[in-house]
Amino acid sequence: MAVYKRGYRRYQGHLTGYWSRLLALPRFAWSRLMAQRLVVIVMMVSLFWPLACGVFIYVSNHTELWQGLDRGFTRFLEINPRFFVIFMNFQAVFAVLLAAFAGPSLIAPDLANNALPLYFSRPMSRADYVLARMLVLLGLLSPVTWVPGVLLFGMQTGMAGWDWFQLNWKIGLGILGGFLLWITFVSMVAMASSAYVKWRIVAGGLVLAFFFVLAGAGAMIDNILRVEWGSLLNPTLAVNKIWRWLLGAEALPGPEAYEHAIALAVMAAGLLWVLNRKLRPVEVVS
Amino acid sequence: MSAVIELDDLRVRLGRREVLEGISCRLGVAGAGKAIGLLRPNGAGKSTLIQTLLGFHQPSAGRARVLGVDCHSQSRQVKARIGYMPENDAFIADLTAVSFLRLMGEITGLPRDVALEKAHEVLFHVGLGEARYRAIGTYSLGMKQMAKLAQAILHGPELVILDEPTNGLDPAARSRMLKLIREMKDNHGMSVVLCSHLLRDVEEVCDEAVILKAGKIVHHADLEAERRTNRRFVELEVTGDDSGLFEVLKEHGAEGVNEGGGHWRIVLPPGVEIDSLWRLIARLDLSVHRLTHRRDSLEEIFLKAVGHLQASPGQEPAVQEVAADGRL
Repeated sequence: MAVYKRGYRRYQGHLTGYWSRLLALPRFAWSRLMAQRLVVIVMMVSLFWPLACGVFIYVSNHTELWQGLDRGFTRFLEINPRFFVIFMNFQAVFAVLLAAFAGPSLIAPDLANNALPLYFSRPMSRADYVLARMLVLLGLLSPVTWVPGVLLFGMQTGMAGWDWFQLNWKIGLGILGGFLLWITFVSMVAMASSAYVKWRIVAGGLVLAFFFVLAGAGAMIDNILRVEWGSLLNPTLAVNKIWRWLLGAEALPGPEAYEHAIALAVMAAGLLWVLNRKLRPVEVVS
Repeated sequence: MSAVIELDDLRVRLGRREVLEGISCRLGVAGAGKAIGLLRPNGAGKSTLIQTLLGFHQPSAGRARVLGVDCHSQSRQVKARIGYMPENDAFIADLTAVSFLRLMGEITGLPRDVALEKAHEVLFHVGLGEARYRAIGTYSLGMKQMAKLAQAILHGPELVILDEPTNGLDPAARSRMLKLIREMKDNHGMSVVLCSHLLRDVEEVCDEAVILKAGKIVHHADLEAERRTNRRFVELEVTGDDSGLFEVLKEHGAEGVNEGGGHWRIVLPPGVEIDSLWRLIARLDLSVHRLTHRRDSLEEIFLKAVGHLQASPGQEPAVQEVAADGRL
């Protein structure tokens, strides 16, 4: 019978499980994000660099293409931790841009339209909601970060052989772990910004400002006070140092990687505090 | 059978203020398809009570159970069995009504295909069938109210909590909303908690009513019993020969007192409506100058409960007034 001909009937069938309910939110959010032209364009642009890196790996593994060139150039073509750190730095920037464009449309509209009571009056807690929103961003950022990273590592392994893998397997783990750390942090920044301000454009600006302003503030502190700990405020530098440690690349001067890791954890705690304060079904004015 | 809502010395503190001050009561019977009206003057704690039932606030003492399940410790189970229509606008602006309802259905636990089917079904049920592919942000206030009702009943909950459902509705839409609510309890066996400051809404739909004041329940009325004993009081002012009115009223089981000068006080028995009185007056060829009628209604109960009736002792009938100068 056509749906408009029959009346309302109470549903009394089975209900789906926890993950099925939770993943409904990311599914709807992804379909809405993919309808945004800007997000699709940034995603496409962010895949050019991994392609270029793939070509580089191909060239570096075909010695017949660069025979006769000087030794300096030969060293430049070597696939080592430094190569992957450079690759990751580029992709990290794209991840921030993508989060700035996509993140604000996740929570800000729910706050602006008072949709949170609708979510939280269903079998969904605040932690579930944050997790579902986080999955949206993790799903969006993965194809431009750890997925191409692991593919490039796999490509290099395939071309350079088992021996190279045995010597460098930590690079693969470092790429995966390092990128997961970064996209989790970036997602938290995007969500906290989106929860803090209800206007999408302002929230997007806030995501970018978070990284630029903190980096600038850290550099100012270092230069004015002639210290090194100011750089702990810089999340991009922090993650770069952690990546270098994970991949076994040459360390940069300044505070150690573990000190930066602690600084990132403190920032993440602050972001969680903002989410906890802002994501409430009702606002209580005491 | 467990109660729909069971409160046991429930206390809720928001900030430094205790908003609910030890409420204890048992309301409704689960599965009986009855409606409970929640009435309150502003700031009485009605919203806090609803939000506590939904698990939004943690009780500072006591406990609240919905359909026999603890609202705080088993919040997920409670929420799976209830539907909630919030008072304020609450939607996802850029989603179409169908997508919005489908999302709400899926996060409540409906399988994907069922959620889509139910979204269409419920939107037709509430009268938004033709507008179901429009973004909810473009809806009028009345349509948004209906969309909120639709999302509340989409998954066929056992209990539906409606917070001011007729807010901002024109008379026709209000009437439709109340009809839908009556259908929910009468035809589909859902229990309904209706929070409203409009006494007529509660009176038209509910079987029992609770009146909150300053964080406490000050009155719990069985409206069905009130209705059974209900009589309609009429004050009438006529010109013409009204000597036969007393007898005619008696024939219809009504009682009347002639106060002289065409002034009458009449008590209509249950089942006799005002229309009948107009017909009697027309039969006697009387001119009506004034006719007011009122029930010993929820309004009176409410005013007594919150203490306003003593403050305004005038006997002004307030429910409805009909004035006619022409001959009938």
